[in-house]
Amino acid sequence: MEITEQKKGSVVLLVLTGRLDAGTAGRLEERLVSLIDAGSRSFVLDFMHLDYISSAGLRVLLMAAKKLKGLNGRIVLSSLKAHIREVFDIAGFSAIFPTYDQQDAAVGSFQ
Amino acid sequence: MSQTIEVRLRNRLSELERVGEAVESFGEAHRLPGKVVQALALCVDEVVTNVISYAYDDQADHQITLRLSLGTGELAAEVEDDGKPFNPLDAPPPDLTQSLEDRPIGGLGVHFLRTLMDGVEYRREQGKNLLVMKKKLPV
Repeated sequence: MEITEQKKGSVVLLVLTGRLDAGTAGRLEERLVSLIDAGSRSFVLDFMHLDYISSAGLRVLLMAAKKLKGLNGRIVLSSLKAHIREVFDIAGFSAIFPTYDQQDAAVGSFQ
Repeated sequence: MSQTIEVRLRNRLSELERVGEAVESFGEAHRLPGKVVQALALCVDEVVTNVISYAYDDQADHQITLRLSLGTGELAAEVEDDGKPFNPLDAPPPDLTQSLEDRPIGGLGVHFLRTLMDGVEYRREQGKNLLVMKKKLPV
């Protein structure tokens, strides 16, 4: 999995490419924790190039969302492929994470 | 074209990519529906992740064997490991209605197995764990 990072004003945009499984989730966890520790509070995770997610990936998202909730921050997601959306639905995560079809709308939701 | 394939995996999380590739290429070779292949890839990943993460108390290399087979109207996946006895089906189901703050982290892998597979069986045989997952193919 690759993670590319951009700043959009106060929003941190992370574009994930490849597979978010138990072998790669630790890298996302480290990145999110270090950004949160450095003061970032608004996150967009773009899943347009994400091909796969398992419960290990969901666990990292939940951990970060919990951490941010206590700090008045949040994570929103964009551009989920249909089969990834299905994993979110089965896990009950669709009710937890706001999702947008387009990255721009996800970033704009923080304005 | 073989109706069964066997993939030998090491107990390293980096092997999960090979798990995904094996299920996908098996699905392509047999022209299986994408939804079935994706569901099986996820469930096999969750089982293998559990084995690699929790089945071994030592740091040694262990072999985990994945078998995929196509039967009449049904796809089966078997995961065999020589770790300590562990039946993932014993885990309690997660409460999906809980709010974000109350929700425990984890427990979702088994939930995926119960939701996405048509049958899951655990057996302990000759010092090995054997987990068999079955998925019916759409008619």
